[in-house]
Amino acid sequence: MPNTWLESRFETPLAHRATSDNTYVSMREISERGMIDLRGLATDRKFMVAAKSILGLDLPKQPRTSASWGDVKVLWLSPDQWLITCARAKAQALADDMATALAGLHALCVNVSDMRAVIRLEGERSREVVMKGATLDLTDGNYPPGTVRRMLFAEVAALLHVVEDNVIDIYVFRSFADYAWEFLLKAARKGSEVAVLSRR
Amino acid sequence: MSGKPHRLAEGGSRIDRNARVSFTFDGRQLSGFAGDTLASSVMASGQRLFGRSFKYHRPRGLVGLGSEEMNALVGVGLAGRHEPNLRATQVEIHDGLAAVSQNRWPSLTFDVGAFNNKLSRFLPGGFYYKTFMWPKSFWKHVYEPAIRKAAGLGRAAEERDPDAYEHMHIHADVVVVGGGIAGLTAAEAAAASGLRVLVIDENAALGGIADLVAGRIGDGCVADIVPALVVRLNAMGNVHILARTTAIGHYHHNYLMAAERVADHDPALLAAGAPRHRLWKIRAGHIILATGALERPIAFANNDRPGIMLASAVRGLLARQAVAPGSTGIVFTNNDDAYLTAFALKSAGIAVRIVDSRQRPDGDLVTRAVTEGFDVSFGSVISKVEGTFAVKAAKIAAYRKGQGRVITEKRVACDFIAMSGGFNPVLHLWCHNGGKIRFDEQLASFRPDTHADAITAIGAANGTMSVAETLREALATGEAAAKSVNARAKASKIKPQSVEEPKRGALEPLWFAPATGGYNEGNKHFIDFQNDVTVADLELAQREGYESVEHTKRYTTLGMATDQGKTSNINGLGVLSEATGKAIPEIGTTTFRPPYTPYSFGAIAGALTGKLFLPVRRTPIFQWHTDRGAVFEPVGQWRRAYTYPALGEDKQAAITREILCVRNKVGLLDASTLGKIEIKGPDAAEFLDRVYTNTFSTLKMGKCRYGLMMNELGFLTDDGVTVRLADDHFLMHTTSGGADRISAWLEEWLQTEWTQYKVFVTPVTEQWAQFAIAGPKAREVLARLEPDFDLSNEAFPHMSFKAGRLGGHPVRVFRISFSGEQSYEVATPANLGQGLWDAIIAAGRDFGIEPYGTEALHVLRAEKGYIVIGDETDGTTTPFDVGLSGLVSKKKADFLGKRSLEQAYLKGPNRKQLVGLLTDDPNDVLPDGAYAVREVKDKPPMEMIGQVTSSYLSPTLGRSIAMALIENGHARMGELISFPLEGGKVVKAKITSTVFYDQDGGRIHA
Repeated sequence: MPNTWLESRFETPLAHRATSDNTYVSMREISERGMIDLRGLATDRKFMVAAKSILGLDLPKQPRTSASWGDVKVLWLSPDQWLITCARAKAQALADDMATALAGLHALCVNVSDMRAVIRLEGERSREVVMKGATLDLTDGNYPPGTVRRMLFAEVAALLHVVEDNVIDIYVFRSFADYAWEFLLKAARKGSEVAVLSRR
Repeated sequence: MSGKPHRLAEGGSRIDRNARVSFTFDGRQLSGFAGDTLASSVMASGQRLFGRSFKYHRPRGLVGLGSEEMNALVGVGLAGRHEPNLRATQVEIHDGLAAVSQNRWPSLTFDVGAFNNKLSRFLPGGFYYKTFMWPKSFWKHVYEPAIRKAAGLGRAAEERDPDAYEHMHIHADVVVVGGGIAGLTAAEAAAASGLRVLVIDENAALGGIADLVAGRIGDGCVADIVPALVVRLNAMGNVHILARTTAIGHYHHNYLMAAERVADHDPALLAAGAPRHRLWKIRAGHIILATGALERPIAFANNDRPGIMLASAVRGLLARQAVAPGSTGIVFTNNDDAYLTAFALKSAGIAVRIVDSRQRPDGDLVTRAVTEGFDVSFGSVISKVEGTFAVKAAKIAAYRKGQGRVITEKRVACDFIAMSGGFNPVLHLWCHNGGKIRFDEQLASFRPDTHADAITAIGAANGTMSVAETLREALATGEAAAKSVNARAKASKIKPQSVEEPKRGALEPLWFAPATGGYNEGNKHFIDFQNDVTVADLELAQREGYESVEHTKRYTTLGMATDQGKTSNINGLGVLSEATGKAIPEIGTTTFRPPYTPYSFGAIAGALTGKLFLPVRRTPIFQWHTDRGAVFEPVGQWRRAYTYPALGEDKQAAITREILCVRNKVGLLDASTLGKIEIKGPDAAEFLDRVYTNTFSTLKMGKCRYGLMMNELGFLTDDGVTVRLADDHFLMHTTSGGADRISAWLEEWLQTEWTQYKVFVTPVTEQWAQFAIAGPKAREVLARLEPDFDLSNEAFPHMSFKAGRLGGHPVRVFRISFSGEQSYEVATPANLGQGLWDAIIAAGRDFGIEPYGTEALHVLRAEKGYIVIGDETDGTTTPFDVGLSGLVSKKKADFLGKRSLEQAYLKGPNRKQLVGLLTDDPNDVLPDGAYAVREVKDKPPMEMIGQVTSSYLSPTLGRSIAMALIENGHARMGELISFPLEGGKVVKAKITSTVFYDQDGGRIHA
């Protein structure tokens, strides 16, 4: 039994930032999400089968898409890279199981649950808030729920996941979390709403 | 007769006479009505004067209707909110608005700079270039500061702007610029397809000048169609209308920028959180330009006197704000349109006569004027205006085209003049990205020709001056634009309404109205009011050989600055045409540049100010460093703790304390910024052999090895320790600044050159918080953290690796050292980082542990002669140069940069090589970058033989140490070389080994 001072203490990058009631979409950090970076070749049948055996779903091959099974979601990052999200508590076990299943195959599976901060935007104008910092055509039908893509957001690299029509997760690298949060506080400030074109 | 401008008892479509608004202009309390502009309300108060001109400081009044206004430039707002150079015609008044006139000192009516006007004989075009040439040094110190004070427009605010600004990105299938009847009609036609349509208009009210044109649509006047059209558009979910938004520039790929003045007109919006301005970044499928046309002034003697306005502006003020420009006026025109102004004036009960330069015009409006008994002087011009601060009288003279000066003239008392020289389609946006234009003889102006982008001009912007044709063009273009974006777009099925409009007679160009006297002497015919360019200036430029219109523009400043030639461009070309005998199309035109009208720096910066100016990367321990009072230094975008001064301790003392703590006890460093890259695959070892100069395939499991990386040129680009986690699995560390660059570099080689390798590379820098525990007590501190692995020297020697736990923390521990001390780098998942840091501090308390910053880190490594990429290397430094030839494999078949190292130049003599330096006087600390010379002379130039790369006061050794790249340094051990410093001091230093401390490396293995 370790001493109490030696017990680990969990602290996400935005733990010190209070949520604000002066924003016109709700924004909060999602801290309980586990993330696993998986690399392999979509053309490698053995790899795809092994991944499915652990995740219960086929890795999405279509650019900018995602797939989900239970609480596991797989986000397409590139033709040979996926981000698997799940409950944080399960991440290490899932990564270990995946590594076991992939033993002997050409693949790389890393638990990166602490590498990114996830900020959830929720509300009718979530897309509009993102459009204040990114060039993407979010009013367009090309961004239905499930869409994933990397973007330049304000001045930092970010990953966009359209969870539902009005629910958007923005992933940024941990060190940029404070900057992204600060930008969103300003972009979503009450009174700065913009009427934008409705979607087709 | 000198009536003043005044408010009429009735009328004014835009104003609400029940809503009084009070504001100040130059400190004077004024009032107007809701719906007034600053221009209309100041005029309504009886004041004509708005400012002083740029060069001659001539008194100037209002000329235009909207964004073409060139004289009435004002500054609006107080302190940090002050914004200069706004057109009074576009400033909507609100309670508390504070506006000031510009370019006058000390006051608008008494202006010292007006002396320039008396000197104007000596201030012709190109005056600055001719006069202020000598002596050379006077330009910078005497002439320029004086000229800048005397000329120029508004002043910038000096305080910080308290308001918020933002950017907004939007994609639209069809973007319509201009919300007049052409733009709105086209928008409706395009929107019927269901595509996304964005309408942008610079004014607060839509409709353009529909209220000022002649004709009837269906049962009503032209403007009557606007309200219903706007209601229909607003009801469509796929249409969005942006008012008070100026399209400022058109760029490649139909990228359009527009500046929205969100809250300028209503401070309550600001208080409620709205940004003051919003910059729209628009990606358009198809752009429809419905930007209308701007009226041209006429060049007649003293045509800049307050009270001389464009005819459309006079009509607009009457109709919209019920402001009369005076009580007796003259309409001076060369076309039919201005007759509408005469009719409007008469209806308002204002005396007016018409001067028309045409001999026998025959349009319907002219006929009507004659029938209604107007006093019309055909074949006549205004040859002179009397009055300085206001028009007092005009002289009317008979005119024939080509006539050089006036023989007889008739004096007519009046207090304002409405002039119209024809209309210029607004081509700015068309031309920003290379649209071609062609000259139209009928308009006597340029109109759009071809364009490589998906962009179409309609209505007056296209030179189409008839309402009926404009509406037909708008409907057809709206539909075609939708079809061009989506071939299956539905047709709009909108039927054009019947239009009645007067038949127009032809315009006759009038580029110059002659005045009395030999060669019009003593009279100024202004072409570019904002830049004070006259006809005489343009003719002089021609005589002096500035034949190209672009040269004339720069020599005279015609069409430059904020105005971008809105009203002056064609008139200037007309004058040049007459001066050279060339047709206008042969002369060509100058370049229109964005922005169409100036917009604020706040809008350009958007939200990215203050804390958002630059992204700052924070390690998991950032807050702790801050709380501890750390001084930070930027390392790339990271902020790393530089040192941790205690209360009252200076930085140097803190650094010294931290270094000695590491050497004598134990220190703790936040090294989380180090690049970390996982590399895995059957070919991973071979891959590493190729990217590093040394060999990694021989590295044993659980062991660490320091590696050097070169680019193809043989120059060092990165270094770091790589660990073998499994046979096919490595963890690479890079420099903090190199993390992103190196992972991209590795991907590039794998994806483009070495595609046969089965290797995956995943950057994991931010997954881990990583700390160095360094010092003779490091192992004892670690032991207190209850490791579940053997810490003994035998089980865990230098350059080896363990994965396990420290108490509750999953960790990777690397026994590696950048200080020369016994040292462990401990990595734990980032979200557990602060907890582990606290635990280490607690575990080390009994051993005197202290955090140390990056400066201590640098001194510690320099004492050991460890290089830093970017300090000891400069992008042209090889491993041989820094004395690390032992790390360049002689056995490996190939690796990046190997072949380049064989080049004669890199192998040859006289390379600069890294050496240590000990100054003669141990207290002398050489400046970073100081040059060593072959021979000290009395003064430069001296032949340089190398430079200092790192230099510190070493607390460990109690003296200064330095490293330097010195020509043939490795062969010069023991030699004394000289460093002449600024101020004449020469420091002498002995060349030594770079390892100053613990030469046998015993401490690292302890």
